[in-house]
Amino acid sequence: MITASQKPINEIIELVEPYKKLLILGCGTCVKTCFAGGEDEVAVLASVLRLSFKKMARPIEIEELTIERQCENEFIQEASPGIARNDAILSLACGAGVQAMAKRFAKEVVLPGLNTTFIGIQESHGVFTEECSGCGDCSLATFGGICPVTRCAKKLLNGPCGGSQKGFCEIDPDTQCAWHLIIERLTTLKQQDNLKTYIPPKNWNTSLSGGPRKLIREDHII
Amino acid sequence: MKINNAPKLTLFHCLNSFEETNSMFDGCTIKTVKMACSSMTKDIHLLKAFESGADAVLVLVCQEKDCRYAEGSIRAKKRVDYVKTILDDIGMDGRRLNIFNTTAKDSGPIKDIIKTTISELETIGPNPALNHFN
Ligand code: SF4
Ligand code: SF4
Repeated sequence: MITASQKPINEIIELVEPYKKLLILGCGTCVKTCFAGGEDEVAVLASVLRLSFKKMARPIEIEELTIERQCENEFIQEASPGIARNDAILSLACGAGVQAMAKRFAKEVVLPGLNTTFIGIQESHGVFTEECSGCGDCSLATFGGICPVTRCAKKLLNGPCGGSQKGFCEIDPDTQCAWHLIIERLTTLKQQDNLKTYIPPKNWNTSLSGGPRKLIREDHII
Repeated sequence: MKINNAPKLTLFHCLNSFEETNSMFDGCTIKTVKMACSSMTKDIHLLKAFESGADAVLVLVCQEKDCRYAEGSIRAKKRVDYVKTILDDIGMDGRRLNIFNTTAKDSGPIKDIIKTTISELETIGPNPALNHFN
């Protein structure tokens, strides 16, 4: 999933200050799971903004709505009446969701309420970790299902550096060394031979470094 | 800023941490919200209490080790701390929200908590979000 966290409240206040009627639009998928943009977070943010604007003696009307996904036109449609009633939309989706809204409602102001962070997983309740950088050429099969591109701070592809210490990375004692994990896992899978294969420098053309990417599924296009 | 009228308090409590007695609320107007367990303390409820006019919000929960549902008091404390930072961030003063570990069997400390809250409000002032429209 895509993880994100709410922008500092004072930054949000500054963003929404020019508007009298605001729709706070949540997204019920990824950012709900990471406690940043689901119904609960929409309600809390609406309450905080109401208190804050009352304190400043500035009237504001806030409408709350959460749709299933802001990155899909089918779900976005549901927000149309609410959008028509308001001066601006404060989107609590990831950057893709915010842009999908802006594309769909070309004449409306769409503001980001979150800082989008990474593609990750919920490791334990309330703890999210980055697992994939969307490099466009996945080599997880070679590395036993652990991504050194994302989880090794130096993106090393041919084994650990000298800073691997008792299973942890020298950049931070709380960060596990991806290469330590890869070796352990390949040992469990009896695939240690993978470690003998030289991995050539990565071709980053398939990643964001090659410019914004587009995925085309011809078989789904009429 | 001095509060002219009797200060308004909202008191959230779990079943085992509080039992209402006469004269407990002298000097303030109080609204009590009973929760089956302190883990039901949610950020939105605390914020809504301020939106509804509370000058201060108190959350009474059992001692951490006595919570019947194991982690209720710990969760409640974390949520209260979270809302306190929000209140500070928007200039509402997080000191107007507090959590205490109490027991329903002993109302003495609870009376003191309420008294102290009322006197602290003399310094903190009334709910600043309500001055303008209420
Ligand atoms: S808009 Fe972003 S957060 Fe919402 S479902 Fe789509 S990818 Fe996930
Ligand atoms: S190799 Fe690339 S696609 Fe695969 S997990 Fe790592 S970053 Fe993601």
